[in-house]
Amino acid sequence: MTNHWIDIKNADAILIMGSNAAEHHPISFKWVLKAKDKGAAVIHVDPKFSRTSARSTLHIPLRSGTDIPVLGGMVRYILENGLFEKDYVVEYTNAAFIVNDKYGFNDGLFAGYDADKRAYDKKLWAFETDEKGIPKKDKTLKHPRCVFNLLKKQYDRYDLDTVSKTSGVSKENLLTLYKTFGATGKPDKSGTIMYALGWTQHTVGVQNIRLAAILQLLLGNIGVAGGGINALRGEPNVQGSTDHCLLWHILPGYMAVPRATWPTLADYNKANTPVSHDPMSANWWQNKPKYLASLLKGWFGENGTKENDFGYRMLPKVEPGVDYSYLYIFDRMYNGEINGGFVFGTNPLQSAPNSNKNRAAVDQLDWLVVGELHHTETSDNWHRPGVNPNKIKTEVFLLPSAHRVEKSGSVTNSGRWIIWHDMAQKPIGQCRSMGEMIVDILNQVRSLYERENGVYPDPLKKLDWPAYYDSDDMAQRINGRFLKDTTVKGKTYKAGDQVPSFGALADDGSTVCFNWLYSGSYTKEGGNKAKRRDLNQTAMQKNIGLFPNYSWCWPVNRRILYNRASVDLKGKPLAPQKAVIKWTGKGWEGDVPDGGWPPLATGKGRYPFIMRKHGFGQIFGPGRPDGPLPEHYEPVESPLTKNPFSGQFNNPCFKKTSNEMDALAKPGDKRFPIVLTTYCVTEMWCGGGETRNTPNLLEAEPQLYVEMSHELAKEKGIQNGDPVLIESARGSAEAIAMVTVRMTPLQIEGKTVHLVGMPFCYGWTTRGVGDSTNRLTASIGDPNTGIPEYKALMVNVTKAQRLRELQA
Amino acid sequence: MDVTRRRFLKIAGLGIASLPLTRLGLNLGGAEAYAAGFKLEGTKEVISICPFCSVGCHIIVHVRNGRMVSTEGDPDYPVSEGALCSKGAAMLSMHKEDHRLTKPLYRAPYSDHWEEKSWEWMLDRIGRRIKDTRDRGFIRRNDKGQEVNRVDSIFQLGTSQMDNEECALSHQFLRGLGVVHIDHQARI
Amino acid sequence: MPMTFLIDTSRCTACRGCQVACKEWNDLQANKTRQRGTHQNPPDLNPFNYKLVRFAEYKENGKVVWYFFPDQCRHCVSPPCKEAADSYVEGAIIKDPKTGAVIFTERTRLLKPEQVEEVISYCPYNIPRLDTGTGILAKCTMCNDRVKRNMLPMCVKTCPTGTMNFGERSKMVALAKKRLAELKKDYPNAQLQDPDDVNTIFLLTEDPKKYFQKVG
Repeated sequence: MTNHWIDIKNADAILIMGSNAAEHHPISFKWVLKAKDKGAAVIHVDPKFSRTSARSTLHIPLRSGTDIPVLGGMVRYILENGLFEKDYVVEYTNAAFIVNDKYGFNDGLFAGYDADKRAYDKKLWAFETDEKGIPKKDKTLKHPRCVFNLLKKQYDRYDLDTVSKTSGVSKENLLTLYKTFGATGKPDKSGTIMYALGWTQHTVGVQNIRLAAILQLLLGNIGVAGGGINALRGEPNVQGSTDHCLLWHILPGYMAVPRATWPTLADYNKANTPVSHDPMSANWWQNKPKYLASLLKGWFGENGTKENDFGYRMLPKVEPGVDYSYLYIFDRMYNGEINGGFVFGTNPLQSAPNSNKNRAAVDQLDWLVVGELHHTETSDNWHRPGVNPNKIKTEVFLLPSAHRVEKSGSVTNSGRWIIWHDMAQKPIGQCRSMGEMIVDILNQVRSLYERENGVYPDPLKKLDWPAYYDSDDMAQRINGRFLKDTTVKGKTYKAGDQVPSFGALADDGSTVCFNWLYSGSYTKEGGNKAKRRDLNQTAMQKNIGLFPNYSWCWPVNRRILYNRASVDLKGKPLAPQKAVIKWTGKGWEGDVPDGGWPPLATGKGRYPFIMRKHGFGQIFGPGRPDGPLPEHYEPVESPLTKNPFSGQFNNPCFKKTSNEMDALAKPGDKRFPIVLTTYCVTEMWCGGGETRNTPNLLEAEPQLYVEMSHELAKEKGIQNGDPVLIESARGSAEAIAMVTVRMTPLQIEGKTVHLVGMPFCYGWTTRGVGDSTNRLTASIGDPNTGIPEYKALMVNVTKAQRLRELQA
Repeated sequence: MDVTRRRFLKIAGLGIASLPLTRLGLNLGGAEAYAAGFKLEGTKEVISICPFCSVGCHIIVHVRNGRMVSTEGDPDYPVSEGALCSKGAAMLSMHKEDHRLTKPLYRAPYSDHWEEKSWEWMLDRIGRRIKDTRDRGFIRRNDKGQEVNRVDSIFQLGTSQMDNEECALSHQFLRGLGVVHIDHQARI
Repeated sequence: MPMTFLIDTSRCTACRGCQVACKEWNDLQANKTRQRGTHQNPPDLNPFNYKLVRFAEYKENGKVVWYFFPDQCRHCVSPPCKEAADSYVEGAIIKDPKTGAVIFTERTRLLKPEQVEEVISYCPYNIPRLDTGTGILAKCTMCNDRVKRNMLPMCVKTCPTGTMNFGERSKMVALAKKRLAELKKDYPNAQLQDPDDVNTIFLLTEDPKKYFQKVG
């Protein structure tokens, strides 16, 4: 989230799209309803009428996968009716930047597409720069190639008729949405967007969010109270686990993973450190070499020397152009290229797409370590229904895990607050925390290499690795320490002292820090700030519910990101009644500003979007692999045979794997005429392991269901409560029909399109509840992230003659 | 107003003084008896956090003799103010051992059953499997002769169930081994 | 002054925090349930669910509406169940003079089957349920043990949205009237359900029958 949970109450309008907040982040509705009580409109755009819709001002059903048409139509409406916040757009976004003349867009493709590589040459999307390398701007917004006019041109085609017939949303509903949210373009008004996996889980996932960000920039809604682009993160610590980057492609603190083409630290830094020649651009990532050096020193300690680039040379390097994420892990496992591995606290044979393929893939493993609370469909794959265990070779180590109250440590909430939990009871039985497990496992491996040697033992031997797991010690290391006596802003720190903030980190190996974003969370002066429970705040802070003394939030306890965009060039709040920061003439009051520089009008300021190289909010985003502006493409599986917006049917860069278990339905495939979307349900959690093993929750949502409209049920001869079979090109699942007015057939291109929805939390290890919904979904993903398209697939539904999976 | 401490939302205007438990004996009849034997008697409070969505609702765990006996929302957490949804409300029964794994379990190749093993046995065996696979699959240099120091034949999936401190170690663990097939719930 | 619940259904998101929190606090066992084509589960109140969120959905003039009704004992001002039980077994059903909580005691076990039926039939809201295992009648206790200690009933404590409210009767009645007046602007049929007779006052946006048949 750019903002945080409580801040939702400050909004004048709330758009919940790609999220079912009341069901999946139930406590968020405390703050949504507070805004609604004060008169904010709450609009829920979602294929299904849910508990969120029930408490919203208006629910707008759309066909899954058509968010870009609906939002693109809003861009057009805002530009056409002059609803954008002009000064904000000119001063704080890249609307005035001029794009070079090689850029173009034709019939669904941007300039530079290579069909063989299924990739773009992004150089063709670059900005025109002056002799210093600073982008040229036309603040009058008249230049035909300035971003503002390219934006206008891009969405000129997104007229009400085309948007309506593509998405199935009535023109009346579109206009209500556009007028209501467009009204937040006034400087003293703000609107927030709450989204979740309903946006990310598409082959246009990142572009959905890009378009939302573009809208918020046009309306001046970024950096302000009650505004922002707010990802409602799922999972208990998915914000923290992302910050610490348990992902193949980034190192902790969002730094690129080393590649084979960057053999030395100098190569890495040269390739990854942005350079801006604009003195007004803070270009914060110019500090990256300090953060990386401190991370490496954390990992390798005194064995990370200048000679070995602080250990950089020993690190694994990936091949450029190769993807190592979920879809490809399972594909390579299926092909026998992966032999063993670890699954901690996740149940991918339930929650990753195309379960049938993944289950067969895991059969190929020689060994598997699972750290879990319960038996799962992953740990117990070797005796799943329909297989003979005597034919499955996998050696499985199932390690009993401590539950949340059985360990101490910190998690990070969606608003980036780092919050500490204490151990309430010791782990039951022989359970151990996952921290203990990994510390012990690696120590075992290290001792083997000590005893026997082996292939390239250097990185293992040289790691600065603890003898036992200690969450407090790790929290300190994450914050960072000095390795030599250092003076910062007149204050002297001794070697071994905690660093006060990331400003003190150095690139010469004299500091350690496991994550620069968390630097400042556990200091010599303030102790472990994740434990702070102080509710005091100034009147200005209280007015918007900032709670700066409760826990600590990254970066530097800044509660609302890009908050210098909430003031005018003189530092005066654009919305004084809900000011985030204000310039007093001497300094800033309110939230922690994005850097303490004085207002821009003084000539000594810095542009507010400090994480961008040029300092501006990116309406035009030339860094994305699938286009600098969002464009509508049909889901990979679609009821249509033609994209109403262009000749390019799907996202030309979407990710896929291709083996015999990766079947896809053809566009408009008659065998699979119904759109399927998948989701969670309030009482269950993701793959369901923790919750369906908790009897009081299973009682409330006991079995797999499929929600469908009365119209579809009638067509198929299905009654409410009937068992049904759902089939896709990849597999089938059994579910109970929930026939409901909350699902709406939509009129798409003059034809009726039906949509059904299913949760994915039920699996065979819990008797009689049903089995993985993801047997229906496909190994296809977004070009930027590889996040699978769980939200829009094509299926058929028939009445089941006989129950197998749902037997009691 | 004391804004630093508002534990236990007080009932507005409630005129009943809370009775000391010593006065709630068995000899009390009627309604008093049905308020006696209070389950939180003699417990201490520990603050934990709900293990589900990223609202991060704080939970007061009532602990007696080292075991949790009750859980409820923590009113001091300004985001939730003591509220919980159905999942958060189920923290007590969720932690019970009757449905949880409590011992390390091992499944041998081609076997049709689990076997209980000690942690030491498991760690020893896991270490051996990791080392053998790593030694066999480690790539010092790629086809182009570039130094890559990685092992493609080992993967990890997980997890956002880990605390930040565990995540930081998990990342170090994986890069130290040379693993690059790394993913978790942030991508699904 | 008795204590009163105000249940403002216009704010309910059916997160079912109350339903589950009630089970956890009262240590009520889980029922074996199955999916029957609705999110409402268990299907009805039972000896192990003193609190149940009921769901009812309609499409009216093309607009979908979904009603949520967190059902529970009304803790009547003059409880008919107690009136019925008193004539057979003294102390089977009692009313806490301080809190107004209507409490089914273990002595309900002494009621004969036909007497149990009579007690149940006297309840205008169809709340009491017989635990056939123990022979005890069961329902919401108002968390009288918590209330006596100045703590909110668990369902109220757990509610995120201000649906569940609890306090002295006069304060809750005043709050009910205030919220009703606000709701009337958007929902002309909004109403309080039997506010003079019960200490669990439901604020409804529509005809009670739309929530479920036994509401009123």
